[in-house]
Amino acid sequence: MTTTTPAPPRTAAPQGRPSAARRLRSWFANPWGRPRFLVLITWTYMVWAIVPVLIAVQYSFNGSRSRTIWAGFSTRWYISDPSSVINDPTLSSALQQSLKLAAADVIIATPIGVLLALGLARWRGRGSGSSNFIMLFPLVTPEIVMGVSLLLVFTNLFTFIHTGTFAQILGHVTFSISYVVVIVRGRLFSIGRQYEEAAADLGASPRVALVKVLLPLLTPAIVAGAAICFAISIDDFVISYWLSSGGNTTTVPMAIYAATRAAPLPSTNAIATILSLITLASVVLGYAGYRIFTRGERAAGQGMVGDMAAFDI
Amino acid sequence: MAGEVSLVDLVKRFGEIAAVDGINVDMPSGEFFSMLGPSGCGKTTTLRMIAGFEQPTEGRILLDGTDMAYTPPHKRNVNTVFQNYALFPHLNVHDNVAFGLRRQKVGKQELRQRVGEALELVQLNGFEKRKPGQMSGGQQQRVALARALVLKPAVLLLDEPLGALDAKLRKALQIELKALQQQVGITFVYVTHDQEEALTMSDRIAVMADGRVEQIGPPQEVYEAPETVFVADFLGVSNMMDAEAVGGANICRLMVGDFELDALKGKTDARGPSKVTIRPERVHLEDQDTNGPNRIPGMVERLVYLGNSVQVITRLAIGTTIQVLVQNAGGEIPWKQGTPVQAYLPPEALRVLTDTGAALPKLDEEAVEPV
Amino acid sequence: MYPGWLWRGFALPGVVWLILLFIIPFYAVTAVAFGQVNPTLLTPEPVWNPLQWNVGWMSEALTRLRPGGDLWVVVVRTCEYVVVSVGMCIAIGYPVAYYIARHATRTKSLLLILLILPLWISYLMRMLAWVNLLAPDGYVNRFLIWSHVISTPYGWLDGRPITVIFALIYGYIPFFILPLYASLDRIDKSFLEAARDLGASPFRTFLHVTLPLSKTGILGGCVLVALPMFGDYYTPNIVSGAPTTSMVGNQIDLYFHYTSQPTIGAALTLILSFFLVVLMAYYMVTVARATKEQQA
Repeated sequence: MTTTTPAPPRTAAPQGRPSAARRLRSWFANPWGRPRFLVLITWTYMVWAIVPVLIAVQYSFNGSRSRTIWAGFSTRWYISDPSSVINDPTLSSALQQSLKLAAADVIIATPIGVLLALGLARWRGRGSGSSNFIMLFPLVTPEIVMGVSLLLVFTNLFTFIHTGTFAQILGHVTFSISYVVVIVRGRLFSIGRQYEEAAADLGASPRVALVKVLLPLLTPAIVAGAAICFAISIDDFVISYWLSSGGNTTTVPMAIYAATRAAPLPSTNAIATILSLITLASVVLGYAGYRIFTRGERAAGQGMVGDMAAFDI
Repeated sequence: MAGEVSLVDLVKRFGEIAAVDGINVDMPSGEFFSMLGPSGCGKTTTLRMIAGFEQPTEGRILLDGTDMAYTPPHKRNVNTVFQNYALFPHLNVHDNVAFGLRRQKVGKQELRQRVGEALELVQLNGFEKRKPGQMSGGQQQRVALARALVLKPAVLLLDEPLGALDAKLRKALQIELKALQQQVGITFVYVTHDQEEALTMSDRIAVMADGRVEQIGPPQEVYEAPETVFVADFLGVSNMMDAEAVGGANICRLMVGDFELDALKGKTDARGPSKVTIRPERVHLEDQDTNGPNRIPGMVERLVYLGNSVQVITRLAIGTTIQVLVQNAGGEIPWKQGTPVQAYLPPEALRVLTDTGAALPKLDEEAVEPV
Repeated sequence: MYPGWLWRGFALPGVVWLILLFIIPFYAVTAVAFGQVNPTLLTPEPVWNPLQWNVGWMSEALTRLRPGGDLWVVVVRTCEYVVVSVGMCIAIGYPVAYYIARHATRTKSLLLILLILPLWISYLMRMLAWVNLLAPDGYVNRFLIWSHVISTPYGWLDGRPITVIFALIYGYIPFFILPLYASLDRIDKSFLEAARDLGASPFRTFLHVTLPLSKTGILGGCVLVALPMFGDYYTPNIVSGAPTTSMVGNQIDLYFHYTSQPTIGAALTLILSFFLVVLMAYYMVTVARATKEQQA
């Protein structure tokens, strides 16, 4: 790499920045310069993934009934118009139903999931492997299969539970449990047994070790798990659809689905926007909660995604 | 308090594998006792059994005469300093140290006082409000110590507590720990794989391999008078040579290759194939024309400069390479690379071993360990 | 340290719940698929005892699915859609994942947030967005007319396979990129540095080191996306209303909600599940083999 010819003396006048044309040419001359080609694809993808949604949000504030022609800013589809989210009974009841299901889901699935995560992580013995397997299955089962099976079980076996809100709650909890388990397990794995052993060593009974040491350390994962529960429940379409009994058991995603197929109005965009904001808010809160509760710990640079990724399902 | 620990016929099996395969050890009160061995030798498992985190498969663990093998860890008067400290991340230093005291329902006044004393003992007053995540490794380790010592246990267990620290800090803390133990006066049971650490700090060392104790004794005894090849090799450079023991009772006559050597130490009444060992600092290198008994000719292969001493790697006429340690007395070492020499192996420094003990871990033939 | 029954006790509620509301419902599908139909009420009568199973409905479903049956077209179409969509997911998603994992340094956190964002925007909202854009007077048509590619608005939403495939790609690609990114990110940089150090050009390093090491990641992403895609019915329903684009999921939906042949619907669901289990098993075997290779 070293040559014996001396570098040319800097006698020429400084060239200044090469002209734009020259820069553009050298940019294109090397399209396989890996980073450049990839940068283009990546940012194009990001725009493609997000901008259509932003347009849909924009049109929820459209002044006219059109979803495609802009007629100025207005909040009528949220508030004033007879078909707005507030005024249209289908939409407002859908919103209520979604929130109801999500709240119930969080309250039921989070404790069950946390306990299951603890149990699976620490259980050494017969049945632990198959229990783990059973827990993983809902994560990989297509929703339609789960929807059909729940519908059939409620109409043919557990017929004391009819389709409707209660069935929808049961369905939501069923697929939420696994998500909570995965999140809590990741955290458990990164904590390890050391703190509980230290607690016991210092005189803490198993109950105290669990409550005063393990639980506080698990709090970030529990918060994140609850938030994720809320978000996936509110976003759920398939299970709610299969277990609904019409009318006031319609959820927001179902309402959007129905409206999109029939005669979508900007109010559909509006309720979709509201839904997305709620989901995003709960995810952000969950993530922030995780960060806040792990604030005092040594910065291992991991965080929630790291904790979960470290634990290979 | 007494703090005498006795392990009686202790066995721990994980499935088919015996991590601890029958050990009998007495650790008298007030002693700095180390368990030394390579990874997998069972030392940590033994420590965890004393602490109560594992239950023995067989055997007894006596603390001042009472068997506590089946007592849960929170009921034992034994405390542990963990390898990665295990300081509760959600509590600050004060609450970490106070944790055990709170379990004992100690009154507020006394609690504050004892926490203060413990932190003073490890020179960390003023750190009460800090969180573990905001402290260096050495500081965390001292908090872990304070947290354990504040409870005035009968025995303190330390599981390679200095492993995560850099060399200089480790050396400084070794001295501190030893001083602390002498000051507080309780039994320390210390686990390490670093033989230098064990030699420096311990009153007695138990060298372990494959779940068994190879030898127990004060550092000098374990180093100067190893009873098995494994112990000789683990505690430093052993310069192990194959030999044929052909005669003698108090003095063992050995044939090492074609050379005759007399050995005064070890199993002097051995017969047949044996091993003979000598520490590098006991070998004397002489001019190649020197005559006399217990000498083997050789050639200097290379020199390794260690600062305070020089390792002279010498290839002997019998084919083996030995390591000779020469103190740096300020002058020049007369043996350059390639110089033919005579290696004088004094009989009182030669040790005969017949007991191989555990299998030695596989090492590169040419690799030489600095002492 | 803890009593043995504690962890089993903790796991019990969850396991019981999943058995009652996941395992047993699955068996209910089987019982209905192999069951009878009440002749007067036309309701399914599930048969719980395997010895009394009626294979009539299952064989009817299988006959319809076989080449020549009226559902064969649907099966072929579903496979086509899934294969094309997953292929495009790889084509688009791999470079994006690769860039974020390997090259983006300053913008990495931002890109990761943007990557995760679509996952939390309701799937239906993302479909709604395109329904708006692909409407006869939507932006897509307006742009195409303005740039003289077409002269009259194209009916994107009138039962076009291309629209369904596009929607599937759009909907599922974030679920593909994220695990692929995680897998690429996990590749030890020292492998790549070693390859470069030994003289391989960036391209060859990619071809001979990165690509093989990311095979499990790609496969995992494909499985993660293909599995739900095979059961998708709402995407075709939203962006196309027509039976000409109906997928297997649509058929199941039809049998349950629009006709009263839940037995065939159940049979179809079983067949679909079986197929997906086979796919899943293939994936797990491949991963197990690959992990063993990597550990050797």
